[in-house]
Amino acid sequence: MRLFLIGIIITSLLGAGAYVIKLQKDNGILKANAEKLESAIGEQKQLIENQKKDFTEILNANKKMNDLVNVLKKDLTDLDKRFNKKNRDVGKLAIQRTESIERITNGASALATRCIEIASGSPLTEEEKNATKKSEINSECPSIANPNYISY
Amino acid sequence: MLTLTIFLTSCSGIKQLEIFKQEVPRANLNLDKPTPLQLENLKWIIITSENAEEVFKKLEEQGIDPVLWGLTDKDFELLAKNFARIRNQLKITNDLLEEYKEYYEPKEKKND
Repeated sequence: MRLFLIGIIITSLLGAGAYVIKLQKDNGILKANAEKLESAIGEQKQLIENQKKDFTEILNANKKMNDLVNVLKKDLTDLDKRFNKKNRDVGKLAIQRTESIERITNGASALATRCIEIASGSPLTEEEKNATKKSEINSECPSIANPNYISY
Repeated sequence: MLTLTIFLTSCSGIKQLEIFKQEVPRANLNLDKPTPLQLENLKWIIITSENAEEVFKKLEEQGIDPVLWGLTDKDFELLAKNFARIRNQLKITNDLLEEYKEYYEPKEKKND
């Protein structure tokens, strides 16, 4: 009977000890889990920040492209105006002032050629960059050839 | 009874969280930009019924074949507008490419 009681006490003590060890182990795991969750939350926040940045970049890129399309449209409208301003008839003008129209045509053709080079990626010259007056600009495509020119 | 309780509680332990994370950035395409065009200037000659003879004579004097490809004033206008449209399209395509490159392959990588 006495031995049986001692056995129960020893078993109980061992069980209690094992239970405490298990609790300590669980506690360690829970702490590690909490740390991982906190770090995951941090990463999620960073991800959301990056998504916000990406969204801003997308908006900016869209705006830039829309602006470009609009200024290019304006260049095209200006070209149309040069041909048809106040019912101008280029054909009749060319008959009346053949040499001067030929000179103007060749000048404009050279400028238009340069416009295509710029559009294909050719870097702007210092002259083109610094042009601010009407007399200095490439009148065929000021929107892409003369970034500092403001139409007046 | 106590032993049984200890064994049972030991079985329902808390599992450790495992978070797998593997980020392998995609390699940049890094294609060279196309070389910008370098075009030749061409010379326009305006011929009217009045100066035609003189124009051809000048061409012969300069050793150029006295033959010209002609456009009416309306077609010349259309040609100029067509070129302007091609130029605009070229510019838009080029800039679009730049924007894509800047977005997907920025010079300074974000959050490195």
